Amino acid sequence: MAKAMTLLWATGSCPCWRVMIALEEKSLQGYNQKLLSFDKMEHKSQEVLDINPRGQIPTFKHGDNVINESYAACFYLESQFKTQGTKLIPDGPAEQALVYQRMFEGLTFYEKLTAVIYYEWYVPEGERHESALKRNKEALVTELKLWESYLQKLGSGSYLAGPSFTLADVVVFPTVGTLFRFGLSPERYPKLGEYYNLLKERPSVKASWPPHWLENPKGQDTLKDI
Amino acid sequence: MAKLMSLLWGAGSPPCWRVMITLEEKKLQGYKRKLLSFEKGEHKSQEVLEVNPRGQLPAFKHGDIILNESCATCLYLENQFKSQGIRLIPDSAEDQAATYQRMMEGLALTDKLNSVIYYDCSVPEEERHDSAVKRNKEALTAELKLWEGYLENVAAGSYLAGAFSLADVIVFPSIACAFRFGLSVGRYPKLAKYYSLLKNRASIKTTWPPHWVASPQGYDILKDL
Repeated sequence: MAKAMTLLWATGSCPCWRVMIALEEKSLQGYNQKLLSFDKMEHKSQEVLDINPRGQIPTFKHGDNVINESYAACFYLESQFKTQGTKLIPDGPAEQALVYQRMFEGLTFYEKLTAVIYYEWYVPEGERHESALKRNKEALVTELKLWESYLQKLGSGSYLAGPSFTLADVVVFPTVGTLFRFGLSPERYPKLGEYYNLLKERPSVKASWPPHWLENPKGQDTLKDI
Repeated sequence: MAKLMSLLWGAGSPPCWRVMITLEEKKLQGYKRKLLSFEKGEHKSQEVLEVNPRGQLPAFKHGDIILNESCATCLYLENQFKSQGIRLIPDSAEDQAATYQRMMEGLALTDKLNSVIYYDCSVPEEERHDSAVKRNKEALTAELKLWEGYLENVAAGSYLAGAFSLADVIVFPSIACAFRFGLSVGRYPKLAKYYSLLKNRASIKTTWPPHWVASPQGYDILKDL
């Protein structure tokens, strides 16, 4: 099964990390994979463009099926391999609704994070404004407080959508991992800190941890004051 | 079933429209609904904030279950009501892959459209740049050309992922918005064909934005794309 799968990915990319966690959780280790470099612009190489005309990674193939959107790949893997590995989408209506809700809020969470940490990557020099970066930071703080409150309500030791690990954690944990990599204060965001400590020990997360984070354990401090 | 459902929505909002199309397709007509006005700021009213602390629409409830993300709501409805109405997510690996892929790409289309249409609403005056407007328009043009390519073989019954699916539910409202805002039918013939084939689908006709019916003439922001 996994032998018929191929992933092109880059270290530290949240979308790539989501798919890698999902593959681990569904017991699909052994898939073919190739690590590419954003710095060398390999995401715009012919190899990627042949699979993904958008020149973005991850790109994921299962036989002839091509899926280049991380959430789409996660949904596909859970659906096609429902009976193996971890069950990632619960059946009960209330539980299922919360998983989907947090998953899609997770896209907003990721956008608000990248609007701060990748501000200079996205915005050409002539268009940058202190006021915009300030506003983006304020929006991220509001977003962080919301997720703190979600975890607060569920209680200690819980995952994002309840007592069990689900697809919500698969797609959102990489964002949380990145927040702390970029210096987020666990004192100011204790629930997120607790969640981070819980998930970083999970086998699927450990197995797919960004290699360059292991090589350079010290991250950045972009977010230390927010 | 539908009697236990309620929707707070705004006219012309693609996320709201996605949920309404899904409710029709899953034969869940008869749900309670309330039309709110973005212009009057009603999406930030206490009524909405109690359901959705983000102050955004749609805000959907099914009994005590709350769903405020349109894609989440559509996936929930398809999964909880799989055996009624139209199947929106196919079973075969190939068709499923295509459905999920186009669904999620649809969010990129909506973002690029919003970055052009709502530029002045989302960017304070002192931060606006002609270069940014130009770049956003170029990105939207590239995006639209991708979709024009995806719909190369569009025909009745052959849409974004084969038969009508959740991909079309998510994406059609944004395509309709693009034409509402002046996209050229001549320059995007496949998108235009997709639009004209689906605009008469029952679930889409029934949920067509009321103010678009009242004033058929739209805007021309996108006419030069």
